[in-house]
Amino acid sequence: MIDQAFHALAEPRRRAILRTLADGELAAGEIAARFDVTRPAISQHLGVLREAGLVEERREGTRRWYRTREAGLEPVRAWLDAFWSDRLEALKMVAEAEAPRAPLEEDRG
Amino acid sequence: MAEPEAPVDTPVLVEREIVIAAPPDVVWVCWTDPARLVKWMGRTAAIELVPGGPIRVEYANGAVMLGAIVEVDAPRRLVFTWGWEDPDEAVRPGASRVEVDLDVVPDGTRVALRHLRLSATEAAGHAEGWDYFLGRLADAVA
Repeated sequence: MIDQAFHALAEPRRRAILRTLADGELAAGEIAARFDVTRPAISQHLGVLREAGLVEERREGTRRWYRTREAGLEPVRAWLDAFWSDRLEALKMVAEAEAPRAPLEEDRG
Repeated sequence: MAEPEAPVDTPVLVEREIVIAAPPDVVWVCWTDPARLVKWMGRTAAIELVPGGPIRVEYANGAVMLGAIVEVDAPRRLVFTWGWEDPDEAVRPGASRVEVDLDVVPDGTRVALRHLRLSATEAAGHAEGWDYFLGRLADAVA
């Protein structure tokens, strides 16, 4: 799923579609109207985003509605989680190197 | 077991804790003094420790994080916004927020870090939160 999300995100137009959807649900036609590309091209992008779990689709009669899917943020979380893990470990090393070591150990007895 | 669903509607992106064998004063200085920040956060750092003041960190790969201080309560709590400076990176400054809380524990200081996504209305610009992160990720695999 994460590889699929990366692939889906690698295309600037698909990122632009996600940004458009960030404010709320839109019908396929409304999305297409905001971009200077053909309706089938937009449909294809939406299909890739949906398969990657980044957007979800809802059908109402003949209309299809799209919105961002919260679970699509998972790759973002994974990236930031690794980032902060590394940084906090580095912080620990630096802070402990600066801390006065002796008193803490003596207190412990 | 079915594929786990991510929590819905939570703005929390990352929540982590670490215990450091040093008093809060020392940990605080490591977070707020540029000379200390460059030892663990990035290769250059500048920070003006007042609400609204800038925080800027350049990482080893050249990417620059730009934020603004939101809360300062030495040596207990530091809150700042977080984003990439380069507009091509797509995570705009102001799109997310980092909250750092320091608490005294028997072994030293517990650092609790929360990285939150800001809603479109909270974000400085508009609905850039998603795009900011997504663009960055896409670059990582390009």
